[in-house]
Parts: sequence; structure tokens; C-alpha cells
Amino acid sequence: MDNTIKVERAILNLTQDDLAKKIGVSRQTINSIEANRYVPSTVLALKLSDVFGKPVNDFFKLNTDD
Amino acid sequence: MSKKSFVECERHRLQKLLNFRLPIAFKWLGVLLLVSAFVLFFFRIQFPDQGELLRSIGRKAFIVGLLCISLARDKEEDEMTVGLRAQSYAIAFIVGVIYALIMPYVEFGVSNAVHSGGEVYKDLGDFQVLSFMLMIQLGIYHTLKRYR
Repeated sequence: MDNTIKVERAILNLTQDDLAKKIGVSRQTINSIEANRYVPSTVLALKLSDVFGKPVNDFFKLNTDD
Repeated sequence: MSKKSFVECERHRLQKLLNFRLPIAFKWLGVLLLVSAFVLFFFRIQFPDQGELLRSIGRKAFIVGLLCISLARDKEEDEMTVGLRAQSYAIAFIVGVIYALIMPYVEFGVSNAVHSGGEVYKDLGDFQVLSFMLMIQLGIYHTLKRYR
């Protein structure tokens, strides 16, 4: 699964740490999600959607391997 | 109580059990227990008549200490660390079973290769297996956390 969280974060001018605090996870977790090493749960994805003000499909995309 | 609410109650209880973690302070209690276990192992030599008792207490303190560290909550606990912890328990369990199966033969083989008529074959004790599994779990968990 690919994501554009880094871009969305840049649009809102948020650091990884800021975003992590907003959704209640560690900075390392945000880093892992951005690097596609970790796929978040639905709850976390919806929290991200809430912060970015966009539907989950806008920043998470399935790739051909999924 | 209806059948449905009974099932719900059981599910809720199971979920509470799955989410169980000790407070962060237990990590330090665990470290304290490990240190006291090592102190007891060294003091054992000073009191040869109490040696077996001290060894037994030291072993229990060592296992309880490792368990406290293993179950203690992290400073930054989120869904990813919960997942990593679950992975580390699974790996530790598998490695522990393989260790318990293979290690007695390794000990027996090495002992007899080094000097003829060495040790007789004996299975591993509970202390050896449990401490190995807990140490592997902690090692794997912290490695996974470092490379997440």
C-alpha cells in the first residue's frame, strides 16, 4: 500500500512529531507509515483522515502487490 | 443472564486480558529483581550450606524480574508497539521450543566431545527454558522497535 502522508503533512506544515501527537502515536510510528513499513489500523487511518480533512482513499492507495 | 450478554461479557473479559499491561514502574522493579538475583547468585558462594535455597530464590527473582520487564507498559505505547510485542512473543515461543528440543543434544555432544565419558543426557530445566524465552522476547522486541 502506498501513501502520501508526507505530502499531506507538508501541506498542513506539520512535523512528524506534531502529527504523532495529534493522533496519539509515537513519532517512529508516523515515520514507519510514511516509509510504507507499517500499515495502520482503520482507527488510525480515520484519525489521519480527520486531521487532513480528506477521505482515507485520498492518501492511501492500493498498489499492484496488494 | 441471556446467552448473548454472556458471550459479550466473556468477549469483554478476554479483551481486557489481551490488553493487560503492567505500569511503567514495573520495568524498574524488574531491573531491581534482576540485580538482586545476580547478587544472590554471587552470595551463594559465601554461604555453601544455604546455597541451594539462595539459588532457588535467585532463579525465581530472575524469572519474575524478566516477566515484569516484559509485561511493563512502554513510555510511548501505540498500536505499532503492541503489534511488535505480539511478534516478539511469537518468535520467542518458536525459538524457545527449538532451543528446548536441540540444546540437550548439543550439551551432551559437546560434553562428550571435550572429554570422553562426559555428562549424561539430561533435559533442560524450566528455569533455563523460561529465562531463555523471556530474554529472546525482550531482545527481539527492542530490536524490532529500534528498526521500525
